[in-house]
This record gives sequence, structure tokens and C-alpha cells, in this order.
Amino acid sequence: MNMKTKNNVISVCLFIFFTIIALITLLPLLLLAVSSLRPGSDLMRFGLNFNIDWANANLNEYKMLFSGQNNYFIWYRNSLIITVIQVALALFLSACVGYGFAMYEFKGKNIIFLCVLLVMMVPTEVILLPLYRLIMRMKLINNMWGIMLPYLVIPMLIFFFRQYLSGIPKELQEAARVDGCSEYGIFIRIMVPLMKPSFAAMGIYQGMQSWNNFLWPMVVINDIDKITLPVGLQSLLSPYGNNYDILIAGSCFAIIPILVLFVFFQRYFIEGMTAGGVKG
Amino acid sequence: MKKKNIFRKFLYSQKVAPYVFIAPFVITFLVFFAYSIVSMIIMSFQNVAGANTSFAGLSNYRILKNAVFIKSLKNSAFYTVVTCAIMIPIPMVLAAMLNSKQMRAKSTFRSILFVPALTSVVVAGVVFRMMFGELEGSFMNQVIGVFGAGPLIWLRRPTTVWIALFILCLWRWTGVNMMYYLSGLQQIPEDLYESASIDGASSMQQLRYITIPLLKPTTIYVLTISIFAGMAMFSESYMLFNGNNSPNNVGTTLVGMLYRMGFQQNQLGIASAIGVTFLTIVLVVNLIQLRLNGTFGGKER
Amino acid sequence: MNRKLLKGVIAAGLSLSMVLGGAVVVNADDDASTQGTNTFVDGGTEMEFWTFQELHVGFWTEMADIWNEQNPDRPINLTVTTGESHSLHSKLLVACQSGEGAPDMADIEIGYYGSFLKDGYLLPINDVVEPYKDDVVMSRINMYGDKEGNVYGIDFHLGASVCYYNMDIMNEAGVDPAEIVTWDDYKEAGLKVLEATGKPMCAVETADLFLPQLMLLEKGVQYVDEEGNPNIATQEHADVINFIREMIDLGICEIAPGGGVHMEEWYGHLNGGGVASVAMPLWYMGRFTDYCPDLAGKMAIYEIPVWNEGDTREVLQGGTGSSVIKGTENEELAKEFLAFAKLSAEGNAYEWNILGFDPIRTELWDDPAITENPDNKFLAYFQTNPFDILKKNGTDLTAPDISGAYSATYSVLVSTTYSNAFELATDQDALELLQSEQDSIIY
Repeated sequence: MNMKTKNNVISVCLFIFFTIIALITLLPLLLLAVSSLRPGSDLMRFGLNFNIDWANANLNEYKMLFSGQNNYFIWYRNSLIITVIQVALALFLSACVGYGFAMYEFKGKNIIFLCVLLVMMVPTEVILLPLYRLIMRMKLINNMWGIMLPYLVIPMLIFFFRQYLSGIPKELQEAARVDGCSEYGIFIRIMVPLMKPSFAAMGIYQGMQSWNNFLWPMVVINDIDKITLPVGLQSLLSPYGNNYDILIAGSCFAIIPILVLFVFFQRYFIEGMTAGGVKG
Repeated sequence: MKKKNIFRKFLYSQKVAPYVFIAPFVITFLVFFAYSIVSMIIMSFQNVAGANTSFAGLSNYRILKNAVFIKSLKNSAFYTVVTCAIMIPIPMVLAAMLNSKQMRAKSTFRSILFVPALTSVVVAGVVFRMMFGELEGSFMNQVIGVFGAGPLIWLRRPTTVWIALFILCLWRWTGVNMMYYLSGLQQIPEDLYESASIDGASSMQQLRYITIPLLKPTTIYVLTISIFAGMAMFSESYMLFNGNNSPNNVGTTLVGMLYRMGFQQNQLGIASAIGVTFLTIVLVVNLIQLRLNGTFGGKER
Repeated sequence: MNRKLLKGVIAAGLSLSMVLGGAVVVNADDDASTQGTNTFVDGGTEMEFWTFQELHVGFWTEMADIWNEQNPDRPINLTVTTGESHSLHSKLLVACQSGEGAPDMADIEIGYYGSFLKDGYLLPINDVVEPYKDDVVMSRINMYGDKEGNVYGIDFHLGASVCYYNMDIMNEAGVDPAEIVTWDDYKEAGLKVLEATGKPMCAVETADLFLPQLMLLEKGVQYVDEEGNPNIATQEHADVINFIREMIDLGICEIAPGGGVHMEEWYGHLNGGGVASVAMPLWYMGRFTDYCPDLAGKMAIYEIPVWNEGDTREVLQGGTGSSVIKGTENEELAKEFLAFAKLSAEGNAYEWNILGFDPIRTELWDDPAITENPDNKFLAYFQTNPFDILKKNGTDLTAPDISGAYSATYSVLVSTTYSNAFELATDQDALELLQSEQDSIIY
């Protein structure tokens, strides 16, 4: 009985504690949501806060957003397309590479893996100009493939898949070979199904990266109807323009797809992280 | 037909297969990154000026003695050290609490704490800039107003700028690091705790003697990516200050300095010298890290 | 099961994106704010223009239409793209550095101009400016040039600095701005304002440089020397800083909320009548009409104070140099269009009427259709007429020297120097501070 009471007390305390943490976490986004009901000029005059005159609150900013008077949904569509394609390709290609590193011994393995680490450590800013030149010469400027092509094989993902697969016994590979499965068949038919949880985990990771990527898409794309959502939102931040209405409402709306993705996959995310990633 | 078969056999052999698997990376690396990194290294020894580019020896590296560069280096180092210091214990403790048997609605809280990581840095920067605005009505000033403190000029004073940057980092990444720790905790056998509590160990002692030591691999991993993310920090500062000019360079980082030199002031040679310096530092620090982790060199547990 | 779910979500995501895309793609051309085109002319030369200022999009497309009307044999189809200022300048610089992907023409903000001049990314436009030479204020054009006498850019405006006074506050304090001639008068008036209303007379920026630059230009001193090297550690500059510091100590000068006069915080403060006056160029009128609706009819424009009685009470500040980028396939056409848009009577009239920019073309100063236009929102907003100041001070005006190390110097001034001088290191000796700031400039 005593034990049970104690447990209940702990349980309630923990619950209250995490409720507070959760509220603090959501606070900036709530601020954004509440502010999206106010005219943008109010923000400038009075600051971002929860003071809202509910009588005057309205959905005008969202009406503006949906009115088609701006490019918001074109940006939205561009971002969605790029995110979906990039995530799908990056998952598959990085999984291949990770599998190669995890399950085979070959000449030059360490050197090449060092290159993976090197690429992982190079921020885009550092190699912006040479990379831009390359994309320019490939005639991929102003093209969504220009955004994606250098970032289809992601070192972070390779790293993760390699770790994940090193937990899978090599005997499985051997057994499949004995059964007459080709090297690629093993990967497609046996390994890929086994890697499902890690695909979910890295899908969320890469989805976040692609959806929110800023600097590189900004440099690559010129046309206003080809840019991605973060770049578009940032372009509204002109110090002279008065675009806060669309900016705030648009920022709110921008979180939705990635949130949906996460809610769907969060169970696998944990599962994938647990089964693979960090074993040391 | 026969030729095709030989080719097929070659491609399908166990010797060649690994190279096919890693080919996507090798191609990407050779096409994009090897060229880019090498050309950055070359530019760091040049006076880059379009058609009039000339060899400049080590003169670009004189930037290493510049006061602003040193400040940006210190800023990056400070940011990295502090973020590592807060972004490891806090998520770890939160994960341990969330993982405890008494916890209700685990997945809900887990999701909520992860949400900030899903927001774009553009959005996060805008919200934080306005939250930390210096108007009396700005949210943070309202909060400290409750405690009787006057409105602060958050983003123009060194101390408060750092507070804002750390809060932003804490807000965005706690959920992610917590996820890593939660998955690390799944691997600690339940019976360890059971036998400990039978032996009369308090939950504090359990944390001290079971959880923290067994989470070491996770901690090393989180530390590695935190060091890297801390050193590479740029966009947070760029968005928070709506541009790359922070008051008295309080928020100017190494990458920010590189960006300013290369893409604002058109000093590509100097920018490349900063890039080379940056890469050297990060490479050394991370290799030490990974050596400790045992990841590199194929010694895995 | 899992795979089904995965497939379902991906399919849903894709179809959602297609639906969204399909639904709105028809509206793409309606948008005039972030990208614009002129009325399409068959056979026109395609040209691209980048600008960091939304309001300029309308100007350029309108001017292209007028150009096509007047030059039916050489029509152009102009696409104008805009974006956030800092990112757009960086993006333009990357394109110029790589020698590929840059637009035909671009607006370049004065603080960035030197970065583009440095390695010769811009095309000289002397020949197309020549015909307009006698009609315009040449010091405004020559500033976008080099020591060899080439000019590369043309501004939207003259950018003459004036002093905007909030007359409610002035009347309450019993101060007549017309009587303020020197900075000492200004200080005296500031003390009266402070006593009567408790409000500061003016504000100084820490994230920009308008007030100190104005004072320095009045002394005839530039931020860069004749050879283009940084030159901020001068006695005159120290005197300026000490004067502003004194005003801050007296309480008649404040640090602009937000750190600059283009910040959200500042506009709220200004609109709320929190500060009595601000010295800014005439193009700043548009900020009043856009962001300070409560001050309509209450503001008056007067000449700036000077150091000595009898000095010219006008200097040129701020600006945007519209330039032709080297590598364009249509050099001649781009150059001529640029000069036409910026220097013709049509262009100048548009700039004044729509954008509130003081015309660079002097004949407009005497045209009652411009100066007395009852429908002009800028003339209606202010109690006094800005053209009176322009006419009085003539065309021999000091412009900032933006050559050489100006961009690098500017970057240091607005990020550290003034922030240290007025806010963080107020006790440090001004000259000493300026010397250490100068040493940190990378050029």
C-alpha cells in the first residue's frame, strides 16, 4: 500500500513536471499561433505576446495566405516535392552505402570511410562557391535537382545504417548466399525489410533536414515560383516590406507536414534508434 | 550473350559487390566534395579576383591574427562548450524520468518535446527574435516584468544574447537528444534496476551507478554531434539577428565570419583560409572523439 | 502492414502536394510583390533584374513598359526578382564570383557596393550617363564610381539628408525648428524638449551609421582615405563620437530601440511619439507614411543642423546603385535602359510620386506639378515642403566615398564601432576606440 501510494505520488509529480516542460516547449509556437490571429502591424508596435483582443481576432492572415495573391502554396508544393524525392532517394542510396561498409571487407574501406566523416564535417557554407560553380556547369541552377544532387548520399545516414547493420549477424548473409541469392538480392530481399525501423528513424531525420534546408536552396534557385518554403518565408523578411501577416501565418502552416510525418512515424523512430544507432 | 554473362558474373561477384554498394557515395564524393574541398584549399593560398587571381602565399592566413576572427573563434568554442554542457545532462535526466515506470502518457510528452526540432530555423529565428524583442510588450520582457525586472534589451547585450542563443538551442534540440537517450535506455536490462532496488539503492543511486555509466556510448555519440553542430553554428545566429551583423560581434561564429568574408565582402581567399582552419579544427576534435568512441578503426563491440 | 502504412503516407504526401500545386499554380502570375514582369512584348529581349526591395519591382516593370512604348524597335521583357536584402546580396555575389548565373542588372545597396566594385563585376556606364549630365546632380552618380573616372551605378534618389521634427513635441517644448542652425542650437533645443516633455530629442543607431556619418560628412571627412584605405581613426570622427556621447549623457539622445531606424521596435517607438526628431535622408519619408500612420500631419521637415553657421545644410546619404552586371549578353540595351529608367523625367517622376524619393533630376524641383501636387501622399503627410530645402542648397553636395575599403569598413562600423562607442564601451577614449576598430578591419 505504502509503496503504491509512493508510486502514485511520483507519478503525479512527474506528470505535472512534464506538463510544465511541455507547455514551455510549445510556448513559442503558441505565441506564433496566437499572433497569427492579430494584424501583423500590431506585432511591430506592441511586440510578440499573448495579449490578444479576442473581439478583434480574425483569420484575415490565413485568408490572405489562401487567397492566391502570393506564392506561398507554390513554395509549399516545391518543398513537399523536394522533400519526398530527396528522402526516398537518400534513404535508399545511403542504405546501400551503409550496407557496403557494414557487411563487406574490401580494399580502401577505411580511407573511404574517412571521406564519409570528412563530408559529414563540412558545412555547406565552407564549400558554397565551388559547389555552386559545379552545379552551374551542370546546368542545374534554378532546377530542383541542383538542390538535391549533391545531397543524395548523406554521411549521417550512412553512419547510422552502418551502425544499425553491424548488429545483424553476418551468418544471415552467408546463409542467403548458400541458398543462391545474389549479393544484390540479399540486400533487397533480406536486408531492406530488416532495416525498416531504421528507415523510419532516418526518414524523419532526413525529412527534417530537407524540409527546413535554407542556405543551399537559396543560392541555387532564382525563380520565385521554384524556391522552397523556408527560402520563401525568409524572403518575406525584407526590412522594408510589410509582410508580417503572411510570414506569421505561413510559419504556422509550414510546421504541419513535418509534424504529421513525425506523429505517424515516431514509434518507429524510437524503435529504429534503439535497434541501431548508438551502440558504441 | 556470352559477353553479357561475363559482365554479369563480374558485377555479381562477392569482390565487386561492395564497390557497387558504396559507389553512390564515391561518385558524390568525387564529383562534388573532393573538387570543392580541394578548390577551397587552393583558394586559401590565392588572391581570388576573377580573371586576375594570383598566388598569395600565406597572406590570407594573416586573418588568424585578426581580432574579429579570434573573437568569432572564441564565440564558437564557447557556444560549443556550453551547449555540450547543457545539452547532455538535461536531455539525459529528462529521458530517465520519461522512461521511468511511473510515467504516464510517455509518447505524448516525447512527441511534444520533439516538435521544436521540426520547425525551420527561419521560423524559429523569427519567433525568438520577436520574443526577445526589446519592446516592453515583448514576451520575455513581460515574463521578467512579472518578477519586477525592467524591460531588457535582450539582443544587444552580450550576456543576454548568449542566454537567447542557448535557450534557442535548448528549445530546438532537447527533444532530439532526449530521443537518443531514450533509445539508449531501452538497451539497459530492466533486471539491473530490479536487483538494485532489492539491494536498497535509491533512485538517485540507480541513476548514478547504473544509468549514467551504461549510457556512456550514447553520451559519446551525442557529444560528437554536439561538438560538430556547435562549431558549425551559423544559421541560428543569422536568423536571430536577421543578418550576419550582431552587435559587437557577440553572435558572430567561425562559419559566420567565413560567410561574411566570402559572401558579403568578396574576400574569397580569406574566407577559404577560415574554411581550412575550420575543417582542421573540427577534424582533429572529432577524430579524437571518434577514437574514444572506437568507431573509427573498425574496433566495434 | 508497416510497409503499407509507409506507402500510404508517401502516396498521401505526394497527392497532397500535387493537389496543392495544381490548385494554386494558376495564380502564380498574379503575384506582383516578390517577382514581377512588364507587359510582354513579342520579340522583346529577355532581361533579368534582381532587387532587394519589393517596392522597386513596380518601378522597374513600369519603366520597362514606358521604354517599350518609346523604343518599339528595341523592346525588352524584364523579369524582376526580389528577396530578403542580406541573402539576396550574398546570392548575387556568389553568382558574380563564379562568373555565371548573375542577372543582367541588379540593385546593390550602398553598404555592399564596394564588394562588387572590388573585382570588377560591374560594367562602366559613363557613355549612357553622359547625355543626362547637365540635368542631374552628378555627385550622386559619381559616388558609384572609381578613381579612374568610371561610373557603374545610378541611384533611385538624391538622398539628401534632412531633419524630421515631431511638431507636437516641438510645440509643447516651445521650440521652433526653423531657428535651429548649428548642432549647439540643436543641443539647446534638446534640453528644452527634455525638460518640457521628458522625451529625447534624437536617437543614434548602433546597428547603422546615419547620424555619425551625417556629422562626419558635414566636416568633409570620409570613412575611407584617398587611396581607399579605411580611415575611421580620425580626430574629426572622435569629435563626432564625443558630441553624440555628450548628448546621450545629457539625456537628449537615446539609443534607437532595436539598434537602428529600420527596425520593428523603432517604428513603434517613433509612431508613438517617443522621440522628438530624427535626421535621415528624404527617402525616409516612405517609412513615415508606411509605418507611422499616427504621425500624419504632425511631422515637419527642416534642414539639418551644421557645425558652423553658413555651412551647406545638406549632405547625401544611403542609397542603392542600380548597375549592369558584367557578362550580360545585352550590354548596350541594359545600359541604356538603366540610364533611361533612372535619369529620365518619367523615371524621376515615378520615383517621387510612388516611392517618395527626392529626384536626382533638378528640373523636377521647380515643376509645380511635382512640388505642389495635392494628391501626393508624401507632401500631404508633412507640414513643410521638402523641395524648399533642395532648392535652397543647390547641387554641390557632399556624397559619401564608397570606394575601396568602404564595404569592409561599413561592416565593422555597424556591427562593432558604434555599438561600442555608444553602448558597450562608453568610457573608452574615442580616438583609442576608433584606432582599435580600424585595426580590426580586414581589407
